Amino acid sequence: MSNATKTGGGFALSAIAPANASLHRLSALLTLFLLVLGFAATSPAFFTVNNGLTILLQTSVVGLLGIGMTMVIVTGGIDLSVGSVLALSGVVSAMAVKAGLPVLPAMSMGILAGAICGAFNGLVITKLRIPPFVATLGMMLIARGIALQLTGAIPISGLGDAFGALGNGALFRMVELRPNGFPNVVFPGVPYPAILLLVVALAAAYLLKKRQIGRHIFATGSNEEAARLSGVRVDRTKLYAYVMSGALAGLAGNVLMSRLVTAQPSEGVMYELDAIAAAVIGGASLSGGVGTISGTMIGAFIIGILRNGLNMAGVSAFIQQIVIGFVVIGAVWIDQIRNRP
Amino acid sequence: MDMGKAPLVELIGIQKHFGGIRAVEDVSIDLRAGEVVGLLGHNGAGKSCLMRILSGAMVPSGGEIRINGETVAFSDPNDARKAGIETIYQTLALADHLDAPANLFLGRELKTRFGNLDDRAMLKAAREVLARLNPNFKNLGDPVSSLSGGQRQVIAIARAIYFDTKVLIMDEPTAALGPSETAMVAGLIKELRAEGIGIFLVSHDMHDVFELCDRVVVMNKGRLVGSHAIDEVTKDDVLSLIVKGDLPADWSARNLETVPA
Repeated sequence: MSNATKTGGGFALSAIAPANASLHRLSALLTLFLLVLGFAATSPAFFTVNNGLTILLQTSVVGLLGIGMTMVIVTGGIDLSVGSVLALSGVVSAMAVKAGLPVLPAMSMGILAGAICGAFNGLVITKLRIPPFVATLGMMLIARGIALQLTGAIPISGLGDAFGALGNGALFRMVELRPNGFPNVVFPGVPYPAILLLVVALAAAYLLKKRQIGRHIFATGSNEEAARLSGVRVDRTKLYAYVMSGALAGLAGNVLMSRLVTAQPSEGVMYELDAIAAAVIGGASLSGGVGTISGTMIGAFIIGILRNGLNMAGVSAFIQQIVIGFVVIGAVWIDQIRNRP
Repeated sequence: MDMGKAPLVELIGIQKHFGGIRAVEDVSIDLRAGEVVGLLGHNGAGKSCLMRILSGAMVPSGGEIRINGETVAFSDPNDARKAGIETIYQTLALADHLDAPANLFLGRELKTRFGNLDDRAMLKAAREVLARLNPNFKNLGDPVSSLSGGQRQVIAIARAIYFDTKVLIMDEPTAALGPSETAMVAGLIKELRAEGIGIFLVSHDMHDVFELCDRVVVMNKGRLVGSHAIDEVTKDDVLSLIVKGDLPADWSARNLETVPA
C-alpha cells in the first residue's frame, strides 16, 4: 500500500528515498562511513584508538536511549521524557548511594525509578487515552522537576570510586608499569558502557525479532485496531514499550552520572531529540510499525560521530546544534518521503 | 431437543446502546451448525455492531450469548476466538508491515520450546493453508501492504479458518474481490458449511446471499425485522424488508409477496 507504488513526481527524489527499511539502513550506514572518512581527512586526531573509544562512550548513552525509543516509536508512539528520566534516575541512584546503599542496589533503584516513570507514561497513554506526545511531554517536566526538587538543583558529588566504575571502567585494559614508576597504557580497553550498549542492543533486537512481545509491538504500531481484533493486548504491549524506554533511560542515566561520578539533575536536556533522531535516521518510522535496533545503532553513531567530529574540527557548540538540527529535519523528511503514498 | 441439536449460537435479546442511541435493540438470532445465515440491512442498521458483539470486539449493553447451549461472556476478541468464533472483517484487520505468516498467526503465534517465535513452523503452516485457498500465493515473506486486494483477503480468510473454527462471521467478504476470487470465496463457504461450520454472512450482494445462504435475517434501525428460510422469500421481499424495515417482524412470506417491487 505505502511502498507498492512510488510516485516520486518525476523528481530525482526517489533516488534518495529508499523503498524499504533495509535500504534505508544501508544508506544510513553509507552516511556513517562518509562521515568517518570526512572527519578523518580533516582532523588527524579523529581517527585514533583513543578518539574511537571516546565516541563509543559518548554514543552509548544516546544508543541506550535510542533502543528504548525505537520500541516506543515502533508501537506508533513517542517518548519525550527520556532526557529528564535519565537525570532523575541518576539522581535517585546517587541519593541511594549517599543513603548508604552499595552501588549495585543503588543503581538498580535508579533504573527502577526510570521504569516507574515509563509505567506512568504507559498508563496515562493507555488508560487516560492521552496522546503519547502530550503524556510524555508532561513526564518530561515532571521527572525534571522531581530531579531538581530532590537535589535543590545542586549536583551530588563525592559518590566514591565504585560509583564511577560503570562509566569509566574498561574491559581488557592493559597497563604496564614503566621503570620510572609511571603507568603506560598498552591498550585502553573496551569501555564498560560500550559493552553494556552491545549487550542491551542484542537483547532488544532478540526481543523484537524472536519474541511474541516484539511481534506484538510491530503489529500494534502497524495497525492498532487490527492487532486488537487479532487478540493482541494492545494496551499491555504499549505499556511494555514505555516501561522499557523508561528503564533504559534509567540505565543510560546511571552510565552518564557514573562517568561524571556526579549526579547532575540538569543533565540530559534535549537528549530525547538525539534518541528520536537516532531511531529515525536508522529507519524507524514515526507513524509506527517500522524500525530496527541495528538501524538505530547506526543512527546513534551518526549523531555521536557528528558531534565528536565537529568538536575535533573546532566547530563551535552553537554551530553543532544547527547542524544536528538540520540532520534531524533531514532524517524526518526522508521518513516522510518514504511514507508518501 | 438433545445437545447435538441445540443451536450452535443463540443470540438472545442482544442490546447495544451508545448514550441515547440504540444501535442494537433486543435482537435474537439462532445459528445452527452447517447453516449459512445472511445478515442484511442498511448501513447503520446494526449488523456490524451485532457481529462485533458476537466476535468479542464490543461488549453488549444487555442480552445473552449462548454457544452450544452454554452462556458465554466475551470481554475481548480473544475470548470469542477461544470459543471458536472467527471473524473476517471488512477492513480485513491486517497489520500492513507484517508478512502473511505473521498476520495469519497474529495473537496466536507458534512458539518453540524456549518460548521464541517459531517462524519456520508458521511459514510452513501458512504456505499450506494459503495454497489451499490460492495456489498462486507465493510472496509469503513480503509485508502484506505490498500484496493485492485478493491476496490480502485470502490471508484474512486463512486466518479465520485455520484454527479450530466453529462459527465464522464474514463481513462483506467479496466486496473488494474480482469475479474469480468471489467464486473461490463462494466455493469455500459451501465447503465450510459441509464441514458443519456455522456462518454469518454480512452482505449487500443479493446474488451471493441467495446463492449461499440457508436463511436471511434483516435488521433495520437496530431491530430484527425479518428472519426467513431462503426459499420462502424472493429478492424483492428481502429488499422490501431492508428498505421498509418498520414492517412488523412477523410479516409473513405470503404477505410480502403482495408488496409491489
